[in-house]
Amino acid sequence: MNLYQILFYLLAFVMVAATIFAITEKHPVHAIVYLVTSFFALAAIFYLLAAPLVAMFEVIIYAGAIMVLFMFVIMMLHPGSGKEALRPGLRHWLPAILFAAVILVSLTVTTKLHLAAASAAVTGLGVKELSIMLFTRYGTAVEIISMQLLFAVVGALYLGKRRKP
Amino acid sequence: MKLYLELIILLPLLGAVVNALCGKMLPRRLSQALACAVIWGSFAAALAVFAAYRNPVTVEIATWLADFDFKAPLTLYLDPLSLSLTLMITFVCGLIHIYSVAYMAEDPGYVRYFALLNLFVAAMLLLVLAENLPLLYMGWEGVGFCSYALIGFWYKEEKNADAGRKAFIVTRIGDVAFGIAIVWLFKLCNSESIVALNSAAPSLLPWQITVIGLLLLFGAAGKSAQAPLMVWLPDAMAGPTPVSAQIHAATMVTAGVYLLMRLFPLISLSPTVLAAVAVTGAFTAFYGASCALVQRDLKRVLAYSTISQIGFMFLGVGAGEITAATFHLLVHAFFKALLFLAAGCVITAMHHEQDIYKMGGLQKSLPRTFYAFLVGALCLAGFPLTGGFFSKDSILAAVWEQGGLLYGSLYAVGLLTAGLTAFYTFRAVWLVFGGEAAPAAKSVRVPVLMEYILGPLALLGLFGGLLNLPPLFAEGLLADFLEPLIVSQQSELSHTTELFLLLTATGVALVGIAAAWYRYGGDNRQLRLQESGVPVRGIKAFLLHGWYLDNLYWLLFVRPYGWLSRVLWTHVDARAIDGSLDRFAALLGRMGGYLGSWTCGRVSLYLLSFAAGAALLVGWMAWLVFAP
Amino acid sequence: MISLSHILILAGIIFSLGLVCLLVWRSNVIMLLVGIEIMLNAAMLVFVGGSYRWGAADGQIFALTIIAMTSAEVSLALAMVVYLHRRQQTVDVDDFHELSDQ
Repeated sequence: MNLYQILFYLLAFVMVAATIFAITEKHPVHAIVYLVTSFFALAAIFYLLAAPLVAMFEVIIYAGAIMVLFMFVIMMLHPGSGKEALRPGLRHWLPAILFAAVILVSLTVTTKLHLAAASAAVTGLGVKELSIMLFTRYGTAVEIISMQLLFAVVGALYLGKRRKP
Repeated sequence: MKLYLELIILLPLLGAVVNALCGKMLPRRLSQALACAVIWGSFAAALAVFAAYRNPVTVEIATWLADFDFKAPLTLYLDPLSLSLTLMITFVCGLIHIYSVAYMAEDPGYVRYFALLNLFVAAMLLLVLAENLPLLYMGWEGVGFCSYALIGFWYKEEKNADAGRKAFIVTRIGDVAFGIAIVWLFKLCNSESIVALNSAAPSLLPWQITVIGLLLLFGAAGKSAQAPLMVWLPDAMAGPTPVSAQIHAATMVTAGVYLLMRLFPLISLSPTVLAAVAVTGAFTAFYGASCALVQRDLKRVLAYSTISQIGFMFLGVGAGEITAATFHLLVHAFFKALLFLAAGCVITAMHHEQDIYKMGGLQKSLPRTFYAFLVGALCLAGFPLTGGFFSKDSILAAVWEQGGLLYGSLYAVGLLTAGLTAFYTFRAVWLVFGGEAAPAAKSVRVPVLMEYILGPLALLGLFGGLLNLPPLFAEGLLADFLEPLIVSQQSELSHTTELFLLLTATGVALVGIAAAWYRYGGDNRQLRLQESGVPVRGIKAFLLHGWYLDNLYWLLFVRPYGWLSRVLWTHVDARAIDGSLDRFAALLGRMGGYLGSWTCGRVSLYLLSFAAGAALLVGWMAWLVFAP
Repeated sequence: MISLSHILILAGIIFSLGLVCLLVWRSNVIMLLVGIEIMLNAAMLVFVGGSYRWGAADGQIFALTIIAMTSAEVSLALAMVVYLHRRQQTVDVDDFHELSDQ
């Protein structure tokens, strides 16, 4: 067990715990804060996995922008009051946990049996190489994504506009 | 040379652009001065070109349409024909612009007016100077647009806007034929250059030349208001009078004649086409003259006379004498602009009363206008030794020269028309200026500027004959100048025949004037005025309504077209297309509702079943890995 | 050296937690979206783990693509949530059932 592995398990623990808190938390704002913690841990894991660029974006876009967006909407709608504050009961938890457990166990079994423990080929990938690849080989993907973002902007504007009754 | 040629077109265009974009911000005087100055600048450039002119030149300004073999660059072509027309257009339009300043003094829409007028001049000059057919077509459509916009200048009255639309649509019918001819010529000759087309023409098959010539004739007939497309010009008088003078008398309507002259080497290869041109011209000349006999509206009299005079030009082209046609075109531009501008003075003086039966006695109150109008009328009537006399005579002489039964009878028609022309012209003169002053005409005033403009035009009309005297008297200047254009040398008429023809024309003109005097002059004028209250019937009504051609076309084309459109709208579009789409949409809606009734509408249940499915799938995969 | 199987198991755990969140919070459509985000993050982890294992950049690019796509998806989905809330004053997913014409 070297330092990397220790850090990985530590971060994995933090992440799982934070996620569990997030999904069991009654108040949505608290849930989002836990989630941000979880995503920070994930970003650190990405960094460990030699993907600094993805880690940065995880922090900036995910933990930063997207979660803040969630926060805004929650504050706008006040779903914490009245009927919406109802916590899911046991009969909601049971089937969910059942299905999730089946999937998790199956995945674990598959992973364990199928993948021989192999050492990773550690080749550091610089931001430059990644960027060159992103904008040359995957240029089409960038184009499509940018189109999609544009559509999302238009759609969000349209939906968010207050119409006259 | 190149610079001057460019300036000729670009100056009016500049004036149009500046006036259109920021004319409203400029002071009124500046905007008007600019509009006039660019035209006179263009005239000065044309004079410079004239001074430097030696041989036909082709100037390529820029590339424009170019695609594989198809090339239509912005190329100008200067030869005696285009040069003489350019000089005439810039000069006459310049005068009319100055006239317009006074005429439109009260009108708030003067910026739009001058922008369109300048744009018109630019388009017309482009049409005249273009070296290839697509460029010519651009100018052709440009003048068509300006004509449309200026006829409907006072568009707030439905009648005026309708007249504009009518002119636009009717000329467009001719333009379709012209467009087909352009495309076809490219297909046959692989070139659009007018020079190249004219030289390549002999290699075409005779029937092709005939059909193309007839298409060109139809296109020219649309623009020049010839049979059968002449119905738009009388209505086009709804525009301001200077517009009628500039566009619908002097310049644009002669574009058809110009087109036929430009492509004369091509169309002259087919005797059928030449005969068709001549017959169209003679028929239209007679039609216009006969209709003008009974019109009551002063401007409509002049409009029908324009139709008639352009018919003469067509007759000249059909007789193969483009010198005579050009000569008449130029002189006609001078005296017809003069007549229209004088009519504009009269109409202004009469506070926009256009009925000639309600005028009278203006000889005393508007002496300057009277003499100018008289000069114009003498030219139009073909009074001996005026410009109109010589030009008309040269056309008739050319027709006579052709001989044969067809051209012989066309000569007779032309002579008859000349007599009618003299009659209706002086009918108008005596009704408007003769007799006692009508109540409305007691105290009339016209801006002095408007009357002074008539002077130069009157001189040009009167002495325009000097441009091209018959060979009997001297060598024609214009004939000399246009020499390079003549395709085949015509046999010269003997001097006795020529003298005989001149005397015949003189006699006819004098008889026409005398008949007009007998009927409308002196004391008989009062008699006619009393008759005018009675509604017209019979042959007079027939002529008054332009042979009822409008009604005929309405019956033949507009009504069936409207009926067809209505059928297509109600049955095909509304019932068949919309109906089938509506039914299809309804079917899809029902199918969707049917599918929707399968669902419970609870998103959570969907999610749960989705997760169950995923669990099943992943579990089965794990089993596959684990079991064997 | 972090073994790939551990990364994958971690991703599996996170994915399952996201799924649970998705299935449980039927009374709140925002938490439902949070569940989707968690699942997407698990997917990203798999891609980055693959990229780490084979030293290829493609996995990381895929992860970046997912981030970009998610931001579009979230903005649109949240706009829809706001719109639905304005119409029906609720965020309960089961209250939206106009499509199954009852």
